[in-house]
Amino acid sequence: MSVLRDVLEELYSMFAADAWLSLGILAIVAASAAASLLVSPLAGGVLLLAGCLLTLAGSVLRMAIRRK
Amino acid sequence: MGYWTTAAPALASAFVASLVEVVEALTIVLAVVALRGWRPAIAGTVAALALLCVMVLTLGPLLGLVPLHALQLAIGILLLLFGLGWLRKASLRAAGIVALHDEDAIYTAEVAELGAEVARRATSQDWIAGMAAFKAVLLEGLEVVFIVIAVGAGRGLMVPAGLGALGACIVVLLIGAAVHKPLSQVPENTLKFVVGVMLSSFGVFWTGEGLGVPWPGEDFALFGIGALFLTTGLLSAAAARRVAAR
Repeated sequence: MSVLRDVLEELYSMFAADAWLSLGILAIVAASAAASLLVSPLAGGVLLLAGCLLTLAGSVLRMAIRRK
Repeated sequence: MGYWTTAAPALASAFVASLVEVVEALTIVLAVVALRGWRPAIAGTVAALALLCVMVLTLGPLLGLVPLHALQLAIGILLLLFGLGWLRKASLRAAGIVALHDEDAIYTAEVAELGAEVARRATSQDWIAGMAAFKAVLLEGLEVVFIVIAVGAGRGLMVPAGLGALGACIVVLLIGAAVHKPLSQVPENTLKFVVGVMLSSFGVFWTGEGLGVPWPGEDFALFGIGALFLTTGLLSAAAARRVAAR
């Protein structure tokens, strides 16, 4: 059971180590899917890329401010 | 040429990412060797590799049943969650906000922890040591399996991705067997930074493909996306360092 628990913890930490980062990524993907359907697929792609870059920068800076 | 535009990054991503994971697993396996010898270390490692093979052989054929766009979307999202997590942590380590991964310290701690547990239990000491090796190889191997599937399954690149991972295993095992101590000289955070950039780029690329995005330049867009992630990661690390120093 200890091995199974460790495997589940590993899987969780692989994909959701930082809850805000994970939620941000999922929100961007949802917004990009909506933009692809409602505006144009290319607009969805631009939103996806820009959103991921901003989420990364925001997550790193948020952690830096919290650790000050 | 077209095939290698995505196959080469897939092979390189799997190689570098697996290198990092295998180095981490090797540290624990060597701690087991130091305490109880090669037998439990090899038994635990082989058992974990066998279980990982079963997982791959079971899950691999199922992936072929999923429609390509749905598969690219699902894998792309998982890659974004995984890759951006790595890149975030590597940026924070580069900024000095999170401590660097120290294989020598991990090795010393693992030897002490495992030694204490073995001493507590009079019987089945080899079993405890073997389980430590099993868990280390299984947990690090899970990440290797995910990376190979994630960068390979989106466009039939499982062979180059698998070869990249296999190459990393061979390189680390050969060096580990030769030097017989944790590979603490490996620039782990630099490698993690590079892997984070590569996995995040594949994540955006596959997610976009799954959503029907017509990337300008088609497969070559992967390199442009990678350059943007690299720049953002480096700038974020520099900005975080300044914030922390204030």
